[in-house]
Amino acid sequence: MMEAVESLKQDPRETGEQLRGGLWHTINQRYPGSMITKADYVPLARLSKPLHQSRVTLISSCGVHLKSDRPMDVCHPLGDFTFRRVPSGAKHADLIIHQLKYPHDDADLDINVIFPIERLQELAAEGTIGGLTANFFSFIGYNMDPERFEQTVAADIANAVVDERADVALLAPA
Amino acid sequence: MIKVPRALFLPWPMGHHFGAPFHTTLQRRVITEAFQLLETAEASGTIVALPIKWADVRREAKQLTSQGRSL
Repeated sequence: MMEAVESLKQDPRETGEQLRGGLWHTINQRYPGSMITKADYVPLARLSKPLHQSRVTLISSCGVHLKSDRPMDVCHPLGDFTFRRVPSGAKHADLIIHQLKYPHDDADLDINVIFPIERLQELAAEGTIGGLTANFFSFIGYNMDPERFEQTVAADIANAVVDERADVALLAPA
Repeated sequence: MIKVPRALFLPWPMGHHFGAPFHTTLQRRVITEAFQLLETAEASGTIVALPIKWADVRREAKQLTSQGRSL
């Protein structure tokens, strides 16, 4: 029993250490060119109107979508360079997660853990925020070609957000 | 580094960026703290860390599960 406890203390999953320490320090070293790197900060855009008058959208890399929608491709080695529109009025029961790269056991119990759609509905209903865009947006974060990602998924979502006349975008990684 | 204009940093496990299942008060807090940054951030690159430990979140979530209700 004591041996089991001692071996657990050495377990990298418990100590947080890499299995083969020193081989790489950043994701870009491990998978060269796989991460987006920017030289400059995105300019700060001020709120154009008070929050209680602002229309909010949600963009997430969690890979959630309507159960009736086309699943994300979680098998392709380069990833899936498409996104899904999620109606902002959808409920947990309408949604499913298609993404293998993060644990979503808890999100399967309560989607708001990763995609807080029902909390945003409540904030809109009580007037804390002005309202919600008709759709929210979701894609899978596993995309191994950042340039292609920026030109396709990111640009398409940015255009869609403008079309939906969003004042505020809440971006949530997964 | 994407160098976002403002961000709320939560040192919680992957897949739990808004907290724990059914912990609605915490989920709301994460959202409202992020919205506050819209008004308070003075410069691009502002990153605010939310001082909530995952151990506390997990403890509260366990209480929720045992009581079968949300906070």
